[in-house]
Amino acid sequence: MSLTRRRLIQTAMGIVVCRVSGLPTSANATSRDSAPSRPGIAAERIDGRAKVTGQKIYARDFHARDMAGWPRSQWYGLYLHALSTEHVFLGVDLSSLSQVSRPRRIVLADQFTSSPALPAGSAASASPESGEQPRADAGPARVEFNRPLDLECDLMVRPGHVPNYLGQPVALLLFDSAASFRAARAEMQFNDAAFQSYATETSQSAGMGEVYPPETIYVKYQSGEINFSYAAADAETYLSESPGFRRKIAQALAGDPSLVSQPIACDMGAVDPMFMEPETGLAWYDGHEQTLNIVLGSQSPDGDVSDLAVMFGATDAPVKIGAVNLTNCFPGGGFGGRDSSPFSLMLALAAPFSDGNPVRLELDRYTQFRTGLKRHAAKVTGRVVAGPDMKLRAIEAELELDGGGRRNLSSSVAGLAAFSMGSGYRLPMADISSRAVQSANVSAGSMRGFGGPQGVFAIETALDELAARQGWDPIALRRANVLGTGDQTIAGGPVLQSLRFDEMLDAAEAHPLWKERDSLKASNTKSGRSYGTGLALSMQAYGSSGNGVVAAVHLEPDGGVRVETSGVDMGNGSATTLAVVVASVLGVNASRVVTAGYRLWDQTGLTVDDEHGLGWQDPKWTPKSVSSSSACLTAFHQVHAVQETARALFEGSLMAAARLLWQRPELSSETVAWKDGLLLAAEGNLKPLSLPQLAAVIHTEGLPHGALGHGFYQGSWAEADFPSPAGTLHLRLDGLSFYSGTADAPPVMALRQNASGTGAAAKRYVRTLFAPSLNIVALTVDHATGQVDIQNVVTILNAGRIHVPELVLGQSQGGIAMALSYALLEELADGMDGPAGGGVNLTGYQVARMQDVPLATSYQPGGRAQELIILPEVPEDGGTGRGIAEAVMTAVAPAISNALRDATGRRFSSLPITPSKILQELAR
Amino acid sequence: MNITFTVNGTPWQVPASRGDELLIDFLHDDLGLTGTKLCCGVGVCRACTVAIAASQGEAEEPAAACSTPLSGLDGAAVTTIEGVSAGPQLLPVQEAFLQHFAFQCGYCTPGFVMASKIFLDGLALAPPPDDLDAAIVSALGDHICRCSGYVRYVAALRDVATAVIAAKTNNP
Repeated sequence: MSLTRRRLIQTAMGIVVCRVSGLPTSANATSRDSAPSRPGIAAERIDGRAKVTGQKIYARDFHARDMAGWPRSQWYGLYLHALSTEHVFLGVDLSSLSQVSRPRRIVLADQFTSSPALPAGSAASASPESGEQPRADAGPARVEFNRPLDLECDLMVRPGHVPNYLGQPVALLLFDSAASFRAARAEMQFNDAAFQSYATETSQSAGMGEVYPPETIYVKYQSGEINFSYAAADAETYLSESPGFRRKIAQALAGDPSLVSQPIACDMGAVDPMFMEPETGLAWYDGHEQTLNIVLGSQSPDGDVSDLAVMFGATDAPVKIGAVNLTNCFPGGGFGGRDSSPFSLMLALAAPFSDGNPVRLELDRYTQFRTGLKRHAAKVTGRVVAGPDMKLRAIEAELELDGGGRRNLSSSVAGLAAFSMGSGYRLPMADISSRAVQSANVSAGSMRGFGGPQGVFAIETALDELAARQGWDPIALRRANVLGTGDQTIAGGPVLQSLRFDEMLDAAEAHPLWKERDSLKASNTKSGRSYGTGLALSMQAYGSSGNGVVAAVHLEPDGGVRVETSGVDMGNGSATTLAVVVASVLGVNASRVVTAGYRLWDQTGLTVDDEHGLGWQDPKWTPKSVSSSSACLTAFHQVHAVQETARALFEGSLMAAARLLWQRPELSSETVAWKDGLLLAAEGNLKPLSLPQLAAVIHTEGLPHGALGHGFYQGSWAEADFPSPAGTLHLRLDGLSFYSGTADAPPVMALRQNASGTGAAAKRYVRTLFAPSLNIVALTVDHATGQVDIQNVVTILNAGRIHVPELVLGQSQGGIAMALSYALLEELADGMDGPAGGGVNLTGYQVARMQDVPLATSYQPGGRAQELIILPEVPEDGGTGRGIAEAVMTAVAPAISNALRDATGRRFSSLPITPSKILQELAR
Repeated sequence: MNITFTVNGTPWQVPASRGDELLIDFLHDDLGLTGTKLCCGVGVCRACTVAIAASQGEAEEPAAACSTPLSGLDGAAVTTIEGVSAGPQLLPVQEAFLQHFAFQCGYCTPGFVMASKIFLDGLALAPPPDDLDAAIVSALGDHICRCSGYVRYVAALRDVATAVIAAKTNNP
């Protein structure tokens, strides 16, 4: 069966067919070679054997020769990067390159059209046969690329213009051999200025310092009968009413002398995701088929392929493209750094200029640092105000995030950073504004935490400081203020889930690492070590204000189950999780999971266009197609889509087959159950049925052998009735189709009835899904060197249902390592002294290693451990898991700062807290 | 003059003029062996670790393929991740990594496998260390894993190492 997914995109030049397919080898997640597993339990990662044996599964592993139907010849692309945002870029001069290093072609943007909607460029080829120095000359006709949605600057800097940001591509060099590419890279590395020229006079780069709109403003005022908030106010008048309520807040706070005000003043530097595989890809323009073929490892394949179709849809595009084929590989790490990454565009840009040869773009680590998306640096100022009863009254804060020079989800990240300032606390008054600003730095994106790390660090260190100054117990302060069901978030949205902060605080208070912290400190002091304990909590959101998910579940002719999901497994274990969660419905684990199922959305038959304003009354409308992949969308969202779709297949087809085999046409699905992979009926005289038996009947009788479901969550799941061969099914889905007939036949939509979903008001809740987490950190600090050693970490986590315990533990452990790494080690300078200068690598950029993290998993006095305490599942969870990929990480950094406060009496509020900062503060 | 060495038992000869080329590029470009992963390219992260015996029969040492020029390989025997296990039969440490869910994205895994193999081979020959965890950190502490937080790698390796030590104790 073809595993290719297909989609159509309309451009000015006509319809572009977009396809995304799995790996070119057989390494897509399959359990067929894996250790045997029991239903519902993962014996190992479904993709584990391919990874542990070094198979070709990452984009870095593929060359043109590995791709069926591609030419074996391969060119290499190398971009030169802007060195200034204060001078006009004039051009490149490669005349000093040695002969072996000379590119076959240079592509500059000086002949791209100057239309504001279009980044421009043209090819100018040298003639290697003539022995001339390659140069960008007047070249042939002007060509143009459409600027993909959200891209506000040129893909490449046009000569005569000031670069928008440092590291922006200024030229593309193309080489026809690996030897010349590598020789050129080596010759030019750390010597960029020798090959680029800039005007001497100073100029201004457009937009520098401006806000990437929109700015986020959360003003909340609850007093007596007045209830004003982002969620409660009229969306049309919220912004105009906000200033008035700001004044009311200021008046309320000024009028009560008993209130205690704690300043907020902290900052954190940019962080590189430092995923292990530098971005790499292949691009081949097949002129005969007018097809652009791309090999990539992306977190957002759907967005990437759409952008590429748009990009080449320009009237004067250098090549005519009727189709885009994206082969999406396993990403070698992601952490948000491969979500809407500019890499895919830069890769595709090279394809038309390589004379029909495939082009490989492989970043080295220096270039990955130089161009890869970062976590936003941030500065937060303001104050938190409490009464003498420890009850929080208000928070006022301004957040400014460094979005870098190329807009990339920055305003959304700034928005969630603002929301995270409320953390898990009741705050009757709030006045928060948050903005991301354009700078010359490398672009920032949606790196792990999506604003949570910035906001939570600010509020949790401020609360700790408040407690310390007032002599309040840090846990008592939090207990007096934590949110519970029925409360409202800082945006005014309702708390719909069971958060259980009280239980978490109780567990923390009783834990010996906290309970005995004074005696532990005393004993360490006796040993000459400065020791401190800190605590922080977080209410990290998972999902966005509205998420669409799509999944397909197939019963193969041999009885095996295959799952397709729109999600990408970045290593978090999505594929493994989705393989085991079907067992509760279909009796076995899936034997194969296909990720990045880009075709699925188009096959649903749904649309997001509500042209007649019918909303849920339109049986084909849904508010959201599919959300881009993030690790925290698996446990709740994707699992729901897979299980509910599996239920549709079970109720709508397998039960029909079972009734035929058992000759019991009225048999209810409530009277059957799975055991050891066999379907058993409560009637004892009916012979158990195997999946191969059921599959045989399904395939011979023409019953559906697969189902395709779409779900939408916004405070609750949309639900509807759907027709099926076994009667009407009520599902928490808003779209359902069945696959019948031949294996490659498209699915047929089961038109929904009686659909219901949340209204537009729920979108104003901002977030309704949370994974509460609390961290206790104990550390020692060396006053002579400033060195901090993390001794113990205790994490208390509300994760809901645990689908695969090992994956949850792994996410927690990875989150802690990443958190202490960015809290203490990871430092990037601004401007050309930082990654944009091309000189940053792991020699200087320190990330946590084995010796930096506690490796035991159970706390023992005197030992070094990280202990994870997961709250037991409760009925209020409804059997659902929570996305915890970011949750455990977020509160670690403030807990470290709080522990340092305990150890030294000093507040460290600037991340990373490096030894030099510690020594400087201690010497003050 | 040629540089002669083996990769996973297969002999190769390259002209001395290619001596400055890096082993990782030779593995990827010439042999199509892409299991050895490039990450930092400067020998710091150890993702590209391979096993090299300076000459046939000598003990293997871990080496960063991204920083090893072909000129240094004359007479050497190189083993990559593709050479440590044949078919479905994996090394015990590979099985342990699977059972412990030691890795996530998996890009660093071949490097961890290679370093672990060399560590375990050495463990079978030398007296058992006083502090096994310290010995593991000493052997693999330079390896970077960005996803897993190391805990499960160490637990898996600890299990296999303990078994190696026990087997040696029982069959001295």
